[in-house]
Amino acid sequence: MSRIMVLIVLLGLAARVGSGAKAQAADVPSTETPAAQDLVAAADRIRNPQQPFRLTDTLVEYRDGKPRDRVVLIVFAREEKDTRQYSNLVRYAEPPRDAGKMVLLHGSNMWFYDPASKASVRISPQQRLIGQASDGDVVTANLARDYTAKLVGAESLEDADRKDRRCWHLDLAAADPEAIYSRIEYWLERGTDQPVKGKYYSDSGRLLKIAYFHNYQEQLGTVRPTETIIIDAVDANLVTTMTTSDYRIQELPDAWFQRDFLPRLKAD
Amino acid sequence: MWLRVGSLVMLAFCALVTAHGQAQENNDLERIPKALQSSPPEATPEQSNAPSPPAPRAHGKYYAEDALTLSSARNGLAVPLPTPAPSDWENRTSLDAADQWTVRRGLTATLSDRFNATEENGVDVPSQQLIRNDFREGYVTWEPLARTYLEAGRVNLRDGIALGFNPTDFFKTRTLLDQASLDPSVIREDRLGTLMLRGQSIWSGGSVSVAFAPKLYAPAPITLGVPYGLGPKFDHTNGANRILGSVNFETAGLSPQVLLYHEGSETLIGMNLSRSIGQSIIAYAEWAGGNQPSLIAQSVAYGVRTGTLPADTPLLPPADAADAFRSDLALGASWSSASKVTFNIEYHYHQAGLSRQEERDWFTIGTAQRNLLPVIGELWYIRAFANDQQQPWVQQQLFLRLDWADAMIPHLELAAFAFVNLYDGSSLSQLSANYYLSDAWSLGAYASANVGGARSERGSYPQVAGLIIQVLRYF
Repeated sequence: MSRIMVLIVLLGLAARVGSGAKAQAADVPSTETPAAQDLVAAADRIRNPQQPFRLTDTLVEYRDGKPRDRVVLIVFAREEKDTRQYSNLVRYAEPPRDAGKMVLLHGSNMWFYDPASKASVRISPQQRLIGQASDGDVVTANLARDYTAKLVGAESLEDADRKDRRCWHLDLAAADPEAIYSRIEYWLERGTDQPVKGKYYSDSGRLLKIAYFHNYQEQLGTVRPTETIIIDAVDANLVTTMTTSDYRIQELPDAWFQRDFLPRLKAD
Repeated sequence: MWLRVGSLVMLAFCALVTAHGQAQENNDLERIPKALQSSPPEATPEQSNAPSPPAPRAHGKYYAEDALTLSSARNGLAVPLPTPAPSDWENRTSLDAADQWTVRRGLTATLSDRFNATEENGVDVPSQQLIRNDFREGYVTWEPLARTYLEAGRVNLRDGIALGFNPTDFFKTRTLLDQASLDPSVIREDRLGTLMLRGQSIWSGGSVSVAFAPKLYAPAPITLGVPYGLGPKFDHTNGANRILGSVNFETAGLSPQVLLYHEGSETLIGMNLSRSIGQSIIAYAEWAGGNQPSLIAQSVAYGVRTGTLPADTPLLPPADAADAFRSDLALGASWSSASKVTFNIEYHYHQAGLSRQEERDWFTIGTAQRNLLPVIGELWYIRAFANDQQQPWVQQQLFLRLDWADAMIPHLELAAFAFVNLYDGSSLSQLSANYYLSDAWSLGAYASANVGGARSERGSYPQVAGLIIQVLRYF
């Protein structure tokens, strides 16, 4: 009997261990604990302008710590009014062998266009995950719409500059079948709601990517991360930086987000 | 008492575990390259060490290519070739350019061209036979209204969603030029456009386009091998009046495209459908049909019209000469994995192609009359015509393709494909490897084989195997 009691006590304590991060939140008065979903929505507004926009993403791939590949993408993005999901048009500007190739990411309607062969090829959600354009999803994804957030607790975390940041630790579960990742762990700075770190998981629970949001600067009226460091959790030697520049508000009509517009998309 | 002590111990354990968890979280930072880690704590984010990206380059594509082809000839062909055997080696050096310029607001110009110099055994250097210019595209686009486009010039207009056979790619005929790879997805990268006027309007959720390609020249004869010379070869692409209308719209996630094509006395209707199934599969179907003659009748009629075959040439193998409603179908699916492997499988049905019996008859006639040049000339002409039209020779075939990006090592792309004749089991297969040495340089190797019995489609082909080594330099 006493053994059972000890076991129950240990299990009770173990449960608290399991919510160890919550224990860390004990210094936060419950009245100050924000709603998890509101935090994610606030972070979405920081990552993404609220109007249709374009930007230039420069992805530099580091292998074994050394820069190796550079890909420059021109991204046109807008939030769909009905679904609140981001639609993207991506045009490759570099490397030279890929110049002019384009990708449409519009809900489940995803196409790749190669101007050399004039071929439009439909791509699957899986291909979206493995392509370079998938790194763009880390930036232009409406997480508040696609995920149900749960507050794990308050934690102190080092950002990419090794500076301590007091963060909310959130656990996001996919709430929409079109959500790209099955689960995301997300750390947002308390007070500013700025994303500091994200961990992105597949359906099988496999950790795919770790992202550090970095280099905050004012862009289009809001202080936003202009560099995202993406650590590949599958390929241990691969780290990609995504530097965002040339933010512009731009009208993006509905008609742009379909296969037949891809050959017409210009970067100038 | 003991419970209190136990609780304290466990709380301490909790704190340790939490601290350990956070330490583990911070361990991820160890993987960030040193070059990216800014910085003394007092540095502002704007002072990061990360280099600011240079402006993206212009969007044209320019490259130089050298491709050395080695091939081994097959001895004892079931049906002998009427012409000398193809060269067993060839080296092609090409300069390739494709770009687009904005002339003024709403007006753009597009140019796509390749210049080739070839060396091969049996032909002295220099020789005009060894120089070829491929004027692929040259057209202007005017956008008088938002997303309404008018185009005039040589346009490479391509439709179709399948990889190995495109029934709805109506402008594919007579456009083939040589490529390093036999892969159909690569072959399309160097093909001739057609002189045409084209209008397209794109609106939310759909688009419509109409293209008219006028007959400007008498149709050019089909020759074995690639046509040389510096001319634009408009007689290849503009030998008939052709009209194509197409409508795209979005419904039920199928992205349908409906096409209507008219050439001479033939009117064909076509459709493309595709849909994503789950996370990893794309299913697609491409169909076209209409009243048209069989492949044998088409090829003989074209050969007579262009003077390659005499006017009284009979249909060999004997075939129905009448037009009938005939369908072309490519039904396929692709599957992709997290390890960057994409696999395609397609079933191709070409109703106008040779039936199983007609294929047998081709060999029976060809072997029995192997010394009669007009007979074997006609038999091989049918195959050359099918190849030139980018149609399967027989009615049913299977196409398999596998592509593996970053295969085992980064920047290595492996691919393999096979066309399998479903009547005789013979196949054309190719294995390829491309390695991207840098942004500017890439190396490629392509090994292909025609495998099958002597009286099979691929086993009767004059080349048994081929190897191509390719070097590309992008600018």
